[in-house]
Amino acid sequence: MEKILELQQVSKTFSKSNFTLDNVTFSLPYGSILGFVGENGAGKTTTIGCILNTIAKDSGTVKLFGKEMRDADTEMREKIGVVYDGDNFPAYWTAKQLSEVMDGLYTQWDNSLFQKYLEDFHLPVKQKIRHYSRGMTMKLAIAAALAHHPQLLVLDEATSGLDPIMRDEMLDVFLEFVQDENHSILLSSHITSDLEKIADYITFIHNGKLIMSVSKNDLVYNYAVLRCKESQFLALDPKDILAFRKRDFQIDVLVPNGKEAQKKYKDIVTDHVSVDEIMLLLVKGERV
Amino acid sequence: MKGLLKNNLYATLSNGKVFSIIMVLLGFFVVVMDNKIPSLIIGYMLLGMIGFSLNSIASLRKESSTKWSKYKLTAPVKRSAIVQSYFLSLLLWLGVGMIFAGIGVTLSIMLHGFPFNRNTDIFMLFVAGIGISLFMAAIFFPLFYIGGEERNEVFLAISFLCSIGIVMGLTSFVQTLFPARMTTIQVILGGMIILGSALLIFILSCPLTVYVCHKKSY
Repeated sequence: MEKILELQQVSKTFSKSNFTLDNVTFSLPYGSILGFVGENGAGKTTTIGCILNTIAKDSGTVKLFGKEMRDADTEMREKIGVVYDGDNFPAYWTAKQLSEVMDGLYTQWDNSLFQKYLEDFHLPVKQKIRHYSRGMTMKLAIAAALAHHPQLLVLDEATSGLDPIMRDEMLDVFLEFVQDENHSILLSSHITSDLEKIADYITFIHNGKLIMSVSKNDLVYNYAVLRCKESQFLALDPKDILAFRKRDFQIDVLVPNGKEAQKKYKDIVTDHVSVDEIMLLLVKGERV
Repeated sequence: MKGLLKNNLYATLSNGKVFSIIMVLLGFFVVVMDNKIPSLIIGYMLLGMIGFSLNSIASLRKESSTKWSKYKLTAPVKRSAIVQSYFLSLLLWLGVGMIFAGIGVTLSIMLHGFPFNRNTDIFMLFVAGIGISLFMAAIFFPLFYIGGEERNEVFLAISFLCSIGIVMGLTSFVQTLFPARMTTIQVILGGMIILGSALLIFILSCPLTVYVCHKKSY
């Protein structure tokens, strides 16, 4: 499958904060949505910074549309739409002024499409952004990211400020965007329910290290959690265990193949696993 | 570049409007007043040129309070273009300041006669205003990228004071070059030395700022 985004062994160390992004490798195929999950400070924004060249990586390669993006590759950035968490644009602007600036930056800026999004999202054109609610500023940023016809959307916690209804609306917009098989989305979020709804692939990052990158189907249909007693846990084949977490009276064990595990360990309760639970097991649990 | 210049314009516009109104009111006062004591018109001219330049530089702080500085890097513009747009915007605002200064002094002369000892004094006032503005920008922009947005005010003060110091130092240097009671040609030559130095430092500061900007992570 052709990849719109490919990261190979990307590393970055911040000496002051002692944080290291450690050999991050994953890829995003055309026509799909990749959910990038991790707790606060896990390295999601740093990874996105390395992808978008706002942070200079120490080593590794990032390929966008099949080639590495340098500062001079402006035509490549025409094809990327970005939404950051929080205030993306100066508060003293109006949506109209934003459109005028964007029109001067992007050759493919589509003002009529932007106006359509403003109408759809109920955003006032002449009001200053400082008077927008947090949800409105996020919707404005999403509208701006989409209005220059990008092929790749990079959304860094773009849905975090939205209420469930708005989030659902935005998820529909994202799903519509990837209807075109040349379009893809990298969606970093810790709202895992959003990712369960729309992502095709989910990549987990923790403490700067990539701990898992799987397709959502694999996750939904294959991954499972075994609810074991201590004696049952001790009898498990270590090869079957991805991670485990001791609770009060049971041990939850993450396994990559729930059906096989169910056949193999008939007396153990096997449950489907949510992205949230996987994240907790991978982050807070232990490895064999 | 068009988008970047518009961005810089919107950042400076509201303060620019307020400052323009102040300049119009002050200008009215300066023009109406008798100009036998030329300090008023000197102050007005320098305020116009340096004030509009300061407004242009100070607008960077407004931008950096949001993620826009980072967002811009994801747009199809080079980092060098972003830096160049700041330098260009400063020149445009300095131009506005020069127009205000020019109109003010012209109207004052038309109404009350020539207030200075020599014709070249007006030229030297423009040299001082332009020189301070250019030196200030040349010092501030690289410092802004080196030190970060949170030290903006300190860097603004440092660059402003340094620029005054440099212009005063260059004036002293010119005075040592030429003997007392300089001829008109010597005054113009001295002014050109100051202006040329300011322009040279301003031009050299641009690639230096681009270099620092390239090293910066957001």
